Amino acid sequence: MMIVLTPIREFKVPIFAECISPEVFEGKNIVQIGQLPVYEGNREKKLQELFKIEEAKTAEGVAEPAITIQGDVSKLKYIGAGMTKGEIVINGSVGMYLGEEMKGGKITVYGNAGGWAGSAMKGGTIEIHGDAGDYLAAPYRGSTQGMSGGKIIVYGNAGVDAGAYMRKGIIKVHGNAGQFVGVGMHDGVIYVKGNCDGRAGSCMTGGTIVISGFIESILPTFTFEGLKKKVKIEESEVVEVPLYLFIGDLTENGKGKLYVSKANNPQLYYYERFL
Amino acid sequence: MTVVKAVTCPVCGCLCDDIELTVRNGRIIKVKNGCAMCEAKFLSHASDHRPTKSMIRREGKLVEVSLEEAVRKAAEILVDASYPVLYGWSSTSCEATKVGIELCEEIGGVIDNTAVVCHGPSILAVQQVGIPSCTLGQVRHRADLIIYWGCDPWSAHPRHIERYTAFSEGRFEKSAWRTYINKVKALVGSKKIESAIRRLAIKSWEPAVARVEKSPSQYLSREGRKLIVVDVRRTKTAEMADYFIQVEPGKDYELFKAMRALIRDQEIEVDRVAGVPVEYLEDVVDVMVSCDFGAIFFGLGLTMGSAKLKNIEEAIRLTRDLNMRTKFIIMPMRGHFNVAGANIVSTWETGYPFAVDFSLGYPRYNPGETSVVDILLRKESDAALVIASDPVSNFPHKASEHLVQKPLIVIDAHMNVTASMADVFIPAAMVGIEAEGTAYRMDHVPIPLKKVVDPPEGVFSDEEILRLILSEVRKIKKERMEAG
Repeated sequence: MMIVLTPIREFKVPIFAECISPEVFEGKNIVQIGQLPVYEGNREKKLQELFKIEEAKTAEGVAEPAITIQGDVSKLKYIGAGMTKGEIVINGSVGMYLGEEMKGGKITVYGNAGGWAGSAMKGGTIEIHGDAGDYLAAPYRGSTQGMSGGKIIVYGNAGVDAGAYMRKGIIKVHGNAGQFVGVGMHDGVIYVKGNCDGRAGSCMTGGTIVISGFIESILPTFTFEGLKKKVKIEESEVVEVPLYLFIGDLTENGKGKLYVSKANNPQLYYYERFL
Repeated sequence: MTVVKAVTCPVCGCLCDDIELTVRNGRIIKVKNGCAMCEAKFLSHASDHRPTKSMIRREGKLVEVSLEEAVRKAAEILVDASYPVLYGWSSTSCEATKVGIELCEEIGGVIDNTAVVCHGPSILAVQQVGIPSCTLGQVRHRADLIIYWGCDPWSAHPRHIERYTAFSEGRFEKSAWRTYINKVKALVGSKKIESAIRRLAIKSWEPAVARVEKSPSQYLSREGRKLIVVDVRRTKTAEMADYFIQVEPGKDYELFKAMRALIRDQEIEVDRVAGVPVEYLEDVVDVMVSCDFGAIFFGLGLTMGSAKLKNIEEAIRLTRDLNMRTKFIIMPMRGHFNVAGANIVSTWETGYPFAVDFSLGYPRYNPGETSVVDILLRKESDAALVIASDPVSNFPHKASEHLVQKPLIVIDAHMNVTASMADVFIPAAMVGIEAEGTAYRMDHVPIPLKKVVDPPEGVFSDEEILRLILSEVRKIKKERMEAG
């Protein structure tokens, strides 16, 4: 069964829509789904007051519940929070905490995502075809339990603190990333195909960060390890260009690996004297 | 004519409590012991431009109305809103903030104080890594190394150095005032020589690179209290420091990192960090490690630098690392006199120090999402109450624009920029001059504020005005409930 949600009007104030999740919708008919509670600012509303809800036929044999949202929902928070199965497709931009602590299933966004997308996720896949906001996959303030599994692919740019305190999983950013990529990460892989604003891997204790584009400088607490010919991102993907490898962060007694493209960073040639 | 002693100054986070005021015919005419800002504030209570009547905007103009009418209008705006924001709180008493939080819970809004645009990142960093701190009394009596990082107390907290740090006469540490006088004399001489040379020499352009004094060992080897200043430019405080480190703008984070590595005896593979030669840093770190009691004070130069809260996290981690070798503390230089109080009241009432969202009925907190500037920039709020603050003059332009487009209630003692754009304006008594209250100093010590003179007729304190609005809000909600 696939449910199609279309916003009735333009939203102004933030909406808490934890109920938009395949598990919550599963086993309910359109009337029951329409009665699900959402908060628009401080007013309690029903889902049907905000969305036109329709049921669409899915291909034969597809048992997983699915949700499609047609339109801009950038004011909606917590879509797909905690989901374990099924699929959500959003044809438009989406608000904060997309797939927060999700454990399985797939979310695809054909637009931009707000901050904390995939916050502390444990499994599943998030694909963002536009830009991701700040704190991609990062946990809440004060927590050091970041993403612990799953995969996030961003085809646009990512904001600051992408993959903060990450423990496992893969994040791929095809565009540029803000500063503090992989801050405090323990394990997992972050691959930035574009440029990075700097301070990558600060306070990391483990894991791998690969930057294919330009990064102005490496933090002084990383030590130069050598020149590598290739690095494996995942089973099916290997980056085969010359890369500088740095180990850090020394101040946290870290053993994290920071790979930086040689070709795009002539300013780091300085380190080759240590070879 | 009466002289009131031991008055607390309601200006900056120092909360100097040794002010003497001379009062004649209900007006303060003389201020003793205070700094220039203190004097200006105490004398402003009798300003001719002080508004004393409540006002409501009708057909684009503010017209005078009764207090009851203004309170009713304010309450209606708040009850009708689905995502109101309540902002300010740092220049009023803890008692008023407490009522404000009750009001916010009643209307399901977002309450935020001015920490969001100053030391908010410090609070976030403290939540991430904790903080080793102490009271200013400890610093006054024991600290033999003071570091001011990204702040200029000589201009912003004028009596901080004199009352609590380098120039204060402590029980175990003597004042460094005499050293400073000698230094100033030498400095004046060298400046004269420098300017004479400059006049004679051909005007040559000097590139704006980080300027670091010669090796620090000659400046920091003397006995007694030492003062180090780290800043992007040579401020007034930097002039009086024993050693000044001029850091490249936005590179404080790298400097912290390098210092931490040096404290941990790790090797650094670069020659300069943030424009400072590593060998100089080694000397500075030696002084830090060998002191008996060190104190780092930091200001907005760090919190609003490019790394924001990460700067503070790293500063706290540096303090933590230093504590493996000696005793070190760190403290933010809070700006408004009761911004620490606003955070503390908010924490004990809701669990969170600022940016608390009550829209779901229970407190939620995540700066970036629930902080007022971000809400305004995303154009999400639909009404606002601003108290004891002037956001329009210092928020980003887009945020101010949205703030004034929606219904705006302002409670303030003065007709500031925000008040002049309000839909409802209620004049308030000045806390610490015309109303009593409690305020928290930057080291989280509560200090009572005195009522020295009476407020103008018909003007009430922030706390009383908020109580009136709160009871009116409850009345309207009850009326609407009964009407169905």
